[in-house]
Amino acid sequence: MLGNKDVMVLDDEPIVGERLRPALEKDGFQVEVFTDSSAALERLKKKTFAVLVTDVKMRGPSGMDVLRFVRENAPGTKVIVITGYATIETSHEADALGAVHFVPKPFKVKDIVKLVTKSSRRA
Amino acid sequence: MSMLARVRAKLAILEATEELSASILRARALESEGALTASQGRKVLRDVSAAAALLRDAARAVPAAEAPRFHPLLDRLETYQRLLEANQALAERQGGNPGVIPARGEIVRDKEIEVARLLDDVVAEDRSSAMRTLEVAQIAPPVLIGLLVVLFAAIIYSIARALDVPIRRFRGYTGRIAAGDFSLISPARTYRDEFTDLALAVNEMLAELRAQQDRGVKAAKLAAVGTLTSGIAHELNNPLNNIAITTEALMEDLPKLDDEEKWRLLQDIYFETERAGEIVKSLLDFTRKEKPDMVPLDLVEVMQSTLRLAQNEMAINNIVFSSDLPPDLPRVRGAANQLRQVFLNLLLNAIQAMPGGGRLHVSAGSREEGKVCVEVGDEGTGIPSEILPRVFDPFFTTKEPGKGTGLGLSVSLGIVRQHGGDIRVESEPGKGTVVHVCLIRAEEP
Repeated sequence: MLGNKDVMVLDDEPIVGERLRPALEKDGFQVEVFTDSSAALERLKKKTFAVLVTDVKMRGPSGMDVLRFVRENAPGTKVIVITGYATIETSHEADALGAVHFVPKPFKVKDIVKLVTKSSRRA
Repeated sequence: MSMLARVRAKLAILEATEELSASILRARALESEGALTASQGRKVLRDVSAAAALLRDAARAVPAAEAPRFHPLLDRLETYQRLLEANQALAERQGGNPGVIPARGEIVRDKEIEVARLLDDVVAEDRSSAMRTLEVAQIAPPVLIGLLVVLFAAIIYSIARALDVPIRRFRGYTGRIAAGDFSLISPARTYRDEFTDLALAVNEMLAELRAQQDRGVKAAKLAAVGTLTSGIAHELNNPLNNIAITTEALMEDLPKLDDEEKWRLLQDIYFETERAGEIVKSLLDFTRKEKPDMVPLDLVEVMQSTLRLAQNEMAINNIVFSSDLPPDLPRVRGAANQLRQVFLNLLLNAIQAMPGGGRLHVSAGSREEGKVCVEVGDEGTGIPSEILPRVFDPFFTTKEPGKGTGLGLSVSLGIVRQHGGDIRVESEPGKGTVVHVCLIRAEEP
């Protein structure tokens, strides 16, 4: 939805959140970083985010589980999937579950920022 | 002479003597009515001659040993016949009744009576001997059948015995084949028979099974390599990504960063490169192909040298150590360095399962079925039963990223399996875990 500048970053690698947060905040986004997918799901139940940037393979619920949850409960939230396991199958799966972008690791921080900005502007 | 022929001969004699008796009786019947006419006399003569011929024929068929019995009878009979002929001839010459000169008639009648008596004797004796023969003939078949049954039983028993030994041997073979031992059957006997053919057929089958097993192992290895490769790719990608984005941040914000921030970012990069190095090293461990020398080892010695390596780690983490390592453990065949790697892996896992400290217990001993086992037990968090089957999967780890690659247990399992042994994990969440490593006892020369 327009105007919403809340972004969640979910990746069990702490460095990912540590690098994305300052970069996104520089562009005016409110960033919440999670390294635990269960905790992230709890948060998603309570707050609607404009964009979710999430990894796929994590301990506990996977990125796809989170994607499914968002599709059912927060369809307005745009999801960008980042992953170290970028196969055709995974990308199809993410696509089918409604992800707007699929980004393989290693990625560039500025690319993610660009994608987040674009997605937050979409209806 | 066969029993049957003998009986036949006796019957012939009996028949003949009956005929002769009958004809003599007829003759006497005629004589008792009065003197015989010429034609009557001729009739009697014919009658008696025929019967006598019959008897002589029958007597010839009799076995040589018994022939003398009939001599008196045959003699009298001949005399009787000559008397009858003489009488008849006289009667014919005289043209009247051969009735006769009483004196001749007497002689003839005396002779008749003698012959008749002898005939009766013969008959009596022959009848009883015929009966005896019949009795024997009656017993003989059942006795023969009885003997045949016993013979068959003996034959079947000896055949069964002869088959029992090879069949038992083959049970042994199938038993060990079922257990997975595909070594070929070596010849057990010096002669060749159907069991040899069976053994050859089984050996062919074993060769094919082994080839299949090899193909299966190769395929599994390839599949494992595939999994491994994609797993490695994924695993390496994370440190790689971390290095990339950290370097990016450094380059973007270099002028804006103070020394401390720069230092932190560089440290992160350094740490991530080390992490990547560890992953590659584990990969190399996993795919090591050289077959190391297997020598007889004392597992207790191997464990004790490994414990020295883990001593520091235990001290740092407040681990209380106890052990039960017997001195005279039977030896196993193995590569000491590889087994040290396995034990170290288990010890480190146990230590890491007890972050606040706890007891670590190591034991070893001879177990059933010729196995020698080492057990490493901790009082840590334990492993939930849903996760338990996956602990040996490559890259499976419950640790945070950067702490352990998840390859330790899968590598350890590979090593132990290569040694012909197995690893078993028992765990109860909240109570602790025990890992059993079992190897096969070495055969001492």
